[in-house]
Amino acid sequence: MNGSPLPLRATAPGGVDAATQAAAARRLAAHRRARLRATLLVILSQIALLAAFLALWEYMTAFDKQAAFMFGSPSAIAGFLMTMARDGSLWRDTYVTGVETLLGFLVGNVIGTLIGLSLWYSRFVSRVIEPFVIALGSIPIIALAPIIIIWFGTGLTSKIAMSTLSVVIVALVTSYKGAVGVDEDQINLMRTLGASKFQIFRKLVVPASLADIFAGFKLTVGFALIGAIVGEFMSSSEGLGHAIFKAGSLYIIPKVFAALVATIALALVLTFIVGKVEKLLMPWRRLG
Amino acid sequence: MSAVVSPALAARAGAPAAAGAPPLVVAHVAKSFDADGRVVPVIGDLSLTLNEGEIVAIVGPSGCGKTTLLNTLCGLIAPDAGRIGWFGKEMSGQPAGVGYMLQKDLLLPWRTALRNVMLGLEIRGVGLSEAEERAHVMLDQLGLHGFADHYPTTLSGGMRQRVALARTLVNEPDVLLLDEPFAALDFQTKLLIESDTARLVRESRRSVLLITHDIEEAVSVADRVIVLTKRPTRVKAVYDIALGTERTDMIAARESAGFVDYVRRIWADLDVTRQ
Ligand SMILES: Nc1ncnc2c1ncn2[C@@H]1O[C@H](COP(=O)(O)OP(=O)(O)OP(=O)(O)O)[C@@H](O)[C@H]1O
Ligand SMILES: [Mg+2]
Repeated sequence: MNGSPLPLRATAPGGVDAATQAAAARRLAAHRRARLRATLLVILSQIALLAAFLALWEYMTAFDKQAAFMFGSPSAIAGFLMTMARDGSLWRDTYVTGVETLLGFLVGNVIGTLIGLSLWYSRFVSRVIEPFVIALGSIPIIALAPIIIIWFGTGLTSKIAMSTLSVVIVALVTSYKGAVGVDEDQINLMRTLGASKFQIFRKLVVPASLADIFAGFKLTVGFALIGAIVGEFMSSSEGLGHAIFKAGSLYIIPKVFAALVATIALALVLTFIVGKVEKLLMPWRRLG
Repeated sequence: MSAVVSPALAARAGAPAAAGAPPLVVAHVAKSFDADGRVVPVIGDLSLTLNEGEIVAIVGPSGCGKTTLLNTLCGLIAPDAGRIGWFGKEMSGQPAGVGYMLQKDLLLPWRTALRNVMLGLEIRGVGLSEAEERAHVMLDQLGLHGFADHYPTTLSGGMRQRVALARTLVNEPDVLLLDEPFAALDFQTKLLIESDTARLVRESRRSVLLITHDIEEAVSVADRVIVLTKRPTRVKAVYDIALGTERTDMIAARESAGFVDYVRRIWADLDVTRQ
């Protein structure tokens, strides 16, 4: 049918035939399998590394009473986790800290992001407040704890306030960076299309900043948790920070680790949720 | 004078001040920039006229101020001196009815091709269903039927630039300001998209100011080629291009008798070797 000297199937005129298509599908499937295998290998290596670490830990503390007292042991930690799960304190403490963290995360990010984005509106205002933002951002959160407790009491509110404060400046800075980083040519294009400043903000600046805003979200999950735990250290009757503090002052080190495991799990779950929401809100990032 | 006039142009022609005035008149425009306290004159003294239905190409040495000129014309930066008249009226703020397109496609990655094309209509408050309808028609005309729901990251460079062209044309601008829009495309894609642009623009008698580095593109697409000097730039030479062929087929234009001669003369004018 064609006089081409090169018998290249894929580029043959008249479109792609069934055999070529099937070959392409096979290649794609093989590629996908290879990728899956690579991911599986990574996960298996991670499990092996963790298992080796725990085994070494267990072995080093098994025959040494003093080491077992100082460092706990995986089996003792697991035992405490079991007991705490049975008596319900594990769930209650995780729930309390989870609520404090989540609320602090939400309030801090909403306030920080709103301020950060709206600073895009005025170069003047953002220049005026820049040194104050840097100053506030450099205060170690723990230094604020005594005042926060005086202002907000020893209950839930003070933990949420601590958590919010450790999040808000980071959220403000990352969202502002995202907003001012928008391509100048893109803004010019919007202007030539007749967009008002608000339209540029809503249709360009906000969506273009989403990637940075979510990077901030991922960063601030940890900060929110630190705020909540530090708040619980200062004064509390429940929560994972409370459990860590109490077990620590009684020298029950495996119990400290048990509460720490729950804290890590909480952080992982929250980070996972943020990642899912990000994928949901930015479907175009999955492509390309 | 012309058989087909775009609605916006007809409406403007009704205004007494604008009757018969060319879409764009630039008179003695000058512009300098401040670079570390030094004043760098970029546009020296520039005058030009763009007539209705005319395609004018501007070529000039790199960095001579072509982009600066375009940004001045569409009101993104203010000139230091001189006058710019759109449709016989002194320019104030952003001119209406002017489309602007760059080498970068500037598509919004979170919008599908269709929604990117709808951007200008949305901004002007055109109803959703009408905007969708018009954007679909525009995409179809540029050979992008079936790609309306694709995100930019899944389109080729040529297709992305076609979407950008559709985004410009869907607003039915009377004048298009194009800044090296096809410079990043491969040769075949470039010829095809140049031909489509010329066809769509000439069908509706829109006017075009095309900035390009590609002398062959300038000669094959434009009715007139303006050659600029280096900084501070002014007009060095003007060529009226008469190729005697249908000016919507770029392959035919490039094969016509006078083509090579124009290219050679403009190349000599640009004096690239002495840079
Ligand atoms: N905002 C600015 N501030 C200072 N100098 C500028 C600014 N914009 C442009 N220039 C200078 O003005 C000169 C002309 O720039 P312009 O982008 O208009 O050139 P051009 O002809 O479009 O170049 P090219 O052909 O490479 O696209 C350059 O030397 C550039 O450095
Ligand atoms: Mg340029």
